[in-house]
Amino acid sequence: MGVLANRQGTQQQRNIQEPCGKRWLAGKWQLGGPLGPVALRKGGPRLVARTAADFRGSRMGRIMHLAVSLDIASATGQTSLTFAEIDGFVRKAEAAGVDMVVISDSGPNGEPSTSPFEATTLIAALATATEKIGLVASASTLAHQPYTLARRFASLDIISHGRTGWNVTTAQNPREAANFSRPEGFSDDDFRRRAREFINIVRLLWISWEHDALLFDKASGRFHDPDKMHLANFTGEFFSVRGPLNVARSPQDRPLLVMSGLAETEFDFASRRADLVLLDKREPSDARAACDEIKRRAYDAGRDPMTIRVLTVADARPERDGGILEALCRSSGCDGIVLAVQPRAAALEDFVERLLPELKRHGFAETQPGKTLRDRLGLGEDGRP
Amino acid sequence: MSARQMKLGLFLWATGHHIAAWRHPDAHVTAGIDIDHYIALARTAEAAKFDMVFCEDAAGLREANVQIASQTSRSIGFEPISLLSALAAQTERIGLVSTASTSYNEPYALARMFASLDNLSGGRAGWNLVTSASPIEAANFGATGLRPHADRYERAREFAAVITGLWHRKAAGYDGESFSVRDPLDIPPSPQGAPVMVQAGASDDGKDLAARTADVVFSAAQTFEDAKAFYDDLKGRLAAYGRRPDDVKIMPGVAPMVAATKAEAQAKYDALQELIPDDVGVALLSSYLSISDLGRYPIDGPLPELPESEGMKSRQALVIEQARRDGLTIRELARYFAGARGHWRVVGTAEQIADELQARFEGGAADGFNVMPSWFPGELDAFAALVVPELQRRGLFRKDYEGRTLREHLGLKRPV
Ligand SMILES: Cc1cc2nc3c(=O)[nH]c(=O)nc-3n(C[C@H](O)[C@H](O)[C@H](O)COP(=O)(O)O)c2cc1C
Repeated sequence: MGVLANRQGTQQQRNIQEPCGKRWLAGKWQLGGPLGPVALRKGGPRLVARTAADFRGSRMGRIMHLAVSLDIASATGQTSLTFAEIDGFVRKAEAAGVDMVVISDSGPNGEPSTSPFEATTLIAALATATEKIGLVASASTLAHQPYTLARRFASLDIISHGRTGWNVTTAQNPREAANFSRPEGFSDDDFRRRAREFINIVRLLWISWEHDALLFDKASGRFHDPDKMHLANFTGEFFSVRGPLNVARSPQDRPLLVMSGLAETEFDFASRRADLVLLDKREPSDARAACDEIKRRAYDAGRDPMTIRVLTVADARPERDGGILEALCRSSGCDGIVLAVQPRAAALEDFVERLLPELKRHGFAETQPGKTLRDRLGLGEDGRP
Repeated sequence: MSARQMKLGLFLWATGHHIAAWRHPDAHVTAGIDIDHYIALARTAEAAKFDMVFCEDAAGLREANVQIASQTSRSIGFEPISLLSALAAQTERIGLVSTASTSYNEPYALARMFASLDNLSGGRAGWNLVTSASPIEAANFGATGLRPHADRYERAREFAAVITGLWHRKAAGYDGESFSVRDPLDIPPSPQGAPVMVQAGASDDGKDLAARTADVVFSAAQTFEDAKAFYDDLKGRLAAYGRRPDDVKIMPGVAPMVAATKAEAQAKYDALQELIPDDVGVALLSSYLSISDLGRYPIDGPLPELPESEGMKSRQALVIEQARRDGLTIRELARYFAGARGHWRVVGTAEQIADELQARFEGGAADGFNVMPSWFPGELDAFAALVVPELQRRGLFRKDYEGRTLREHLGLKRPV
C-alpha cells in the first residue's frame, strides 16, 4: 500500500470496508489538469508535495463551470413556479450549456413556502425531460433514513442516465427537527456527527453492487452474481444498516455528493467525501482561501485535488454582466460559479434571455464532453473509499 | 350516467408477477434499470384507460438467501416515488400510486413527497400504506429487528392520522406517541385536494385501519367466496367511521393469462411454470408464510403446522387455507404460489376472463381489479389488446377518462 492508503485511517473510515479503493492504487486515475501530470511510481501513485497555489493551476484558460440554483422553498406568498415553467427553464439552461441545476429545498424556516414541489421528486420529473444537464437536489438527513435516501438518489441516477447529485449539509436548520418527531432537536455537534455517519452509509450503500453484478442470464437462471453483491453491515453511533441497497449500481457509480452550507470545521470531512462543494456567498478573496483550503486538505487526505470541485455562489441579478461574474469567478480561484436565481417566472426568463448569453460570451458554460455529470465536471468515476 | 363500471389498476412488479417472469424469452430482463421500459408500460396502461399504475415496495431485499435471491429479478429496482415522479412527466391521465412504509418514514417527509408527486402529476397521486412485514427491511433501519404486528399497526394508525391531518390542512401542530410535527405542510394541495389513500392489509388491524382511512383497498382472494367475504367485511366496517360503502373501492389482485383459445393460454402458463426452480418456489412460499426452514420438510409432503405469523397474517392464512382445501404438497403449493403470490389467477380467452371479472364485479365481491401481468411487457399488452376491449364492449369499463385526477377516475370525493 502506498502513501495514500496510510493517510486514510480515520475512525469513521475504518468502519467502512469498501472494495473500490484499489482503483486509486492501481494508478488508473490520470492525475492531470492544471496540476500537470503527476509522477506515478511503480507500486502506486505518489503525489509530489505542492503548495496551495499549485492546486489552483493556471487560472487563465481553465474551464469555468456554471451551475444555476433554484431555491424552490424560498417561494412565499406570490404565485409559485409551475412544473412547465421550471421544465422550460431547465431545458433552455441545458441548451445553453449550463452544467447543472441545483434545486434547493429546505423545510419550513421562517415564512412558509408555497412551492408545490419537493426537490427529489422534481428532479425525477425533470430527468426524463432533459438529456445533458446535471440535476442536483437537496435532501435533509433528518427527513429521511440513509437507506431510503440512498435508494432514491441511486434511482434518480439511473433514471437520468448518470446526471444526479445529492446536495447535503452537515449544518443544522434549527427549526427542522421539530417536524420530524425530534422536538428536543440535536446539538449542533450531534447533528454534525449524525450527518457524517448518514453520508458515509449512503456512500457505502451506493456501491453495494459491483458494475458487472447483474448477469440477466435467462438460460442458466442466474439474474445476478451473488458474490458481486455486498452487505453494508454498518453499525455506528446513530444508525445500523445491513444492506445491500436494492437498487442497482448507478451510472456514475455514486451520484455526485454535493456539500454546501459548510462551516470551516467541516472542510476536513467535505474534502474527503464531497465531489463538489458549494461555497456560500462570500468575498472573492475568502472564496479563494476556502477553495485552496479544501483542495489542500483533499490532498492531505490522499486524494487527487482535481477530483473535487469547488463552486462559489453568486446572485443572478439582472444588472450583473458577464464580465463581472467572470472576474468574480477567476479571482475566487474556484472551478466555477453557482448563480442563485429567484424562483419567479420573470427572474427565470431574465436569466435565460439576458444573463445567460452574457455568461457564454465570457467563457462560462462551454460544452464539455461526456454523458454523466461527473464527466461534465471532469471528475471521472468515483472509486474513492 | 351509465351503470357502475369497474376500476382497473396496473400492478407493476419487476419483470412481471410470475417469479420466473424474467426468464421468459420475451420478458424485458433489464426492467429494473430501464426507465424507458416503465414509461412504455405506463403509456400502454394509459392508452387502455386504466385508473392507475401501482408500485409495490420493500426497503430491502425480498429474499435473505443470496443463492435464491440471485435466481430472481427482484433484488434490484427503482425506488417507487422517484419512478412515479418520472412517470408523472411522461403521462397525462393515469393515476400513480406508490407504496411507502409507515415503519421507516416520517409523516411530514412522506406528506411532502406525495404532495409533490400529486402536484407534478396534476392530481394523480396515491399512497399505499404498508407497515412492512419483513425482517430484512427492518435490518436496514436499526438493530432492534421487526416490530410486532400490533405495534406496527399502532404506529401506522398514528401515521395515517398525522399525514391526512397535514394533507387536509387540519390544525397545525401534533405531538403524539410516535410522531410530532410542528408546522403545517409547506406544499399546497393539488387539483384533487390530497393524494388517494390506499391500503392492502387484510388482518383485523389492517381492515380496521382501511375502513377508517383508505379510499382504495387492494386485496388477495382466490375464490369468489373469499373475495365476497372480504368485500362485505370491509364495507361493513365503514359505517362505524361515518363512511358510506361507496367511499371505499375494493380492488382484489388478478393475474390473467389470456390468449385466443383457452388451450393456448394454458400452454403459456405451463411454459412459465416450467421455468421455476424448486428452491426458488419454496423460498418464496416460505417468505409469505413467515417460516425460514420450509426447505427442511419433504417437498412432496404436506405443509407442516405453522405458528401464526408476526409478518403478513392475512397472506399466511390464505396460503394455509388453500393447501388444506386442495390437498396440495409443498411443491405444488410453491409452484402455484409462484405464479402470483397467492393472488387470483385466471387463464383463458378474453371472453372467459371478462366473464370471471364480471361475475366478481357484479356479484358484490369487487369494485375493480388490480391487474398483475405474469411478465412484462407481453402479458400487459395482451390484456390491453384483448380483455380491455371486451370489458368495454360489455359496458363494464370506460372507453375514455371522465376526469383528470385519480379521485375523478375512481369516483371519490375530494377531501374537505
Ligand atoms: C395487492 C397488494 C399489494 C401489497 N403490496 C405491498 C408492498 O408493496 N409492500 C409491503 O410491504 N406489503 C405489501 N402488501 C402487504 C400488505 O399491505 C400488508 O402489509 C400485509 O398483508 C400485512 O398486513 P396484514 O397482516 O394486515 O395483512 C400488499 C398486499 C396486497 C394485497
